[in-house]
Amino acid sequence: MFAELFSLFYQFADVFAFLILASAGLAIVFGMMGVINMAHGEFIMCGAYVTVGLVNLGVPLPLAQIAAAVVAGLIGVVVEMLIVRKFYRRPLDSLLATWGLSLIVTQGMLLVVGSSTRGIGTPEGSFSVGDYSFSTYRLVLFACAVAVLLGIYVLFMRTRFGVIARATMQNAAMARALGARTGRIYAISFGIGAGLAGLCGALYAPTMTLIPTMGATFIVESFVTVVVGGANVLLGTAPAAMLLALVRMTLNASYGQIIGQIGMLFAVIVIIRILPEGLSSILARRGR
Amino acid sequence: MRAIGKILCAAGTLALLTCATSSARAADPIKIGLMEDVSGDLAVMGMPKLHGSQLAVEEINKAGGILGRQIELIHLDPQGDNARYQEFTRRLLNRDKVDVLIGGITSASREAVRPIVNRTSTPYFYTNQYEGGVCDANMISMGAVPEQQFSTLIPWMVEKFGKRVYVVAADYNFGQISAEWNRTILKDLGGTVVGEEFIPLGVSQFAQTIQNIQKAKPDWILTINVGAAQDSFFEQAAAAKLNLPMASSIKVMLGFEHKRFAPPALNNMHVTANWFEELDTPEAEAFKKRWHAKFPNEPYINDMGYNAYHAIYMYKMLAEKAKSTKLADLRKVIATGDACIDAAEGKVCIDPKSQHTSHRMRLVSVGPKHEITVDKDYGEIKPYWLAQIGCDLTKKNDKDQYTPSHLPKK
Amino acid sequence: MLNLVNGPQTSGNSRGFWLAFLVVLLAALIYPVFADSYDVGNFSYFLIWVFMALGLSLMWGYGGMLSFGQTFFFGIAGYSYGVLAIIMGGGTLTILALVLAVLIAALAAAVLGYFMIWGRIGGMFFGIVTLAATLSLAFFLGQTAGPEWHIGDARLNGFNGMKGMDPLTVGDIYIEGTIFYYVMIALIVVVYLGLRVLVNSRIGNVIVAIRDDAQRAEMLGYDTRKYQLLTFCVGSGLAGLSGALYTSWGQFITPSSIGLPAAAMPIVWVAFSGRSDLTATLVGSFLLLFGFQTITVYSQQAALVLMGALLLATVMVMPQGFIVGVAQAASKRWARITGGADRARLQNGES
Repeated sequence: MFAELFSLFYQFADVFAFLILASAGLAIVFGMMGVINMAHGEFIMCGAYVTVGLVNLGVPLPLAQIAAAVVAGLIGVVVEMLIVRKFYRRPLDSLLATWGLSLIVTQGMLLVVGSSTRGIGTPEGSFSVGDYSFSTYRLVLFACAVAVLLGIYVLFMRTRFGVIARATMQNAAMARALGARTGRIYAISFGIGAGLAGLCGALYAPTMTLIPTMGATFIVESFVTVVVGGANVLLGTAPAAMLLALVRMTLNASYGQIIGQIGMLFAVIVIIRILPEGLSSILARRGR
Repeated sequence: MRAIGKILCAAGTLALLTCATSSARAADPIKIGLMEDVSGDLAVMGMPKLHGSQLAVEEINKAGGILGRQIELIHLDPQGDNARYQEFTRRLLNRDKVDVLIGGITSASREAVRPIVNRTSTPYFYTNQYEGGVCDANMISMGAVPEQQFSTLIPWMVEKFGKRVYVVAADYNFGQISAEWNRTILKDLGGTVVGEEFIPLGVSQFAQTIQNIQKAKPDWILTINVGAAQDSFFEQAAAAKLNLPMASSIKVMLGFEHKRFAPPALNNMHVTANWFEELDTPEAEAFKKRWHAKFPNEPYINDMGYNAYHAIYMYKMLAEKAKSTKLADLRKVIATGDACIDAAEGKVCIDPKSQHTSHRMRLVSVGPKHEITVDKDYGEIKPYWLAQIGCDLTKKNDKDQYTPSHLPKK
Repeated sequence: MLNLVNGPQTSGNSRGFWLAFLVVLLAALIYPVFADSYDVGNFSYFLIWVFMALGLSLMWGYGGMLSFGQTFFFGIAGYSYGVLAIIMGGGTLTILALVLAVLIAALAAAVLGYFMIWGRIGGMFFGIVTLAATLSLAFFLGQTAGPEWHIGDARLNGFNGMKGMDPLTVGDIYIEGTIFYYVMIALIVVVYLGLRVLVNSRIGNVIVAIRDDAQRAEMLGYDTRKYQLLTFCVGSGLAGLSGALYTSWGQFITPSSIGLPAAAMPIVWVAFSGRSDLTATLVGSFLLLFGFQTITVYSQQAALVLMGALLLATVMVMPQGFIVGVAQAASKRWARITGGADRARLQNGES
């Protein structure tokens, strides 16, 4: 009995971690800044490749993962300054620009590093509960997801940078008038978003096949989670991931993966129909 | 010169006629139209296929060509998009007027090409191992099919590991039909399928699947998951210490997972294959040497690349025996039952009734350090299933794809 | 006649524009006489996709509804055509199959549209709901490989795709090659002019008013939902037309025509061309389809990089879209010559 319950928790934690890590970066870039970042998956891919590259050079895995997130974040800052900056006034065009970027990056990676890269293997460690054995690393992923959520919350709600950033996203002209250097705020925020995407790739790199198009496996889940979360990403993303994880986990367990996948998409449609402004709209109302 | 030819062609019907007749002159090259995905998701498999074709063309051209004519290889990259396959098939047939068409990776791409080729008298070589069952006079299949892979693999697994099997399959035609084959063969052996799970393409997370397997307690797992994302299964299963024997018809020799994943993710995997790079017969060694001399950075010569290479030699043999490049003449050679070449695996022949290729099948297993051992050599196995269910291309062109649950109407 | 197709919602209302239109049309009509049959077939193939681009331009550019669902309706009509053509037995009935397939797609759009528009779903939420519906359909069709998935004699056949349907046929003449080309030209002209009439009509003005400010339109007494639903049905029905024509053209359709990345392509075409104008969408989508194919043929592995660079450069340099950008640059020059600068300024300002 305990084994079954633990197994349920483990499955839930696994899907939840995937949704949170995949969408955390996008929650900032798309949810807060309004940039439809089709290249989100490519930042994830970048994190994964940097991690594997560093590990192959002999860097310990956790260090490599942090470095990968930083690298992705720095690339994010550059991308913001060169490209994304032009699109804050016309967010729909950011879709086309980042889509183009995504094509260039995936195919460019294919040309430069080849179509496949040797993986590094998941860190050792597993434990058994009842009949089941589990990979410890999956729980590490869950812990990271929770830490990321907390980190975002603290950063945007409890620091000076967070206050200014939120003010900038809400009314850039006003924030500028009050002395905020909005250009820099945008660049840093985008960098944080890209860095979180890179972190996602870094964390999943040991568990997945490394190919240049690997970002595509994250992209639908991340957009769906952020949108279901609603306008207030700080409030919305976590419950959205929780809800979708619950739906998916239940359906996966009882009807298989295909129903799990269709069911999750169906849940998205229903949730948006009931709450056209996303989950955060009711939470925000409650909070008031 | 070609540009002038094009202008002439475009100038009107008269010129068109001239071009058409002139292209049949013996000194003109034989045009091979090739479509392989070298961009996007499938590039990992498409690159060796392109390389195999290029190597074969280079060798043949150096040795004097086919029927004294040089080969011109026209390659287009459909990027894994079925609509591009349709566009390019038409382009190669109508614009480039190729003598033979080769290529396609997924079964969907093959099915996109077939209706278009079927309206012409151009031969089409499909060079992948696949779920089998295509009964089509235009098509010659070079890869291994389920009767060659499963009727060897499954009895061996049952004998060695036991009768309880869990199936992890990609949720599309290839996976479903392969699972059907497994069920049929297993039933005859008195085995049971204790679980069958179909995974949508593109899924990369397998925690639930791994637990379902642990719950079902199988003796071994049949893994016919497809694509880079689904390959993540092996890493995740190893991390959760699943430690069960595995069998597959597409791992190792096709996706070289044992080279791409860190050991021991693929430990205890068993596959039946007509080709894998670790094969060390003298012919195989010579073939690998030629390949690596031309493509020193090739991560692995997979069976698709190998088959793509031999497809062009097969075409050469057919054309030279027929002294023609016309499909009807080539098929006359096939009908004699003596359409064979000496491939690196051994002698392979085209079966007249189904136009599929016989193969020398070997069962190989992967060790804890991802070393490859040949456990059994089955010798030459013919593609017998289509003929058994009533496909006979020497008499009737069905143009259909059959499966164990979709048999020809009597 | 010209009164109906001209109006404030479309660029190109001048006599010069229509003269150019006639010249292009005439050139298109005599093109098969000069060109080789492959090019004729290839051009008509590009036109297949233009309908769904025009539909999206109507919904997104004019109606402000960003739909990721064009391939959803493309797929519904494509599969419907296949199923109907097989169970009704081919022949001239394929024409009926085409009409029914488009109607089925429009009906599906009415249902989904009602669900969304009456639920007040807007903005990116609209995009995500249509995307979710599209992906669900693609996943569903992908797993229908088994023989139990059939309608009459028509097997859906999963990921490998459905085939075996007749192409459009009249009597015993297949509509293919040059005939198909002329049918496509005729359809494009009809749809293009029809859409121009629609957007320049009173209904069109309301649709644009809703895009600009839905609340204000509502305050003025319009039931905005009905207008939005109409827009959605027409736009999605056009995607259905593309789908049915595509299936007829290749006698083949697979779920990958529905899922990603196919679902994003119409948005790319329309955004590239300039979504705010039908003419721009028509010309731009055609050029982009042609350009992408040419790039793919001639540049092998670099093709996707070049395509990406083309999109990125366009959107950075010409914010209104490639065709609209070029047209505006041209009209600005023209205005400077003729002194009609007000008009050019007006056009720049509105987009």
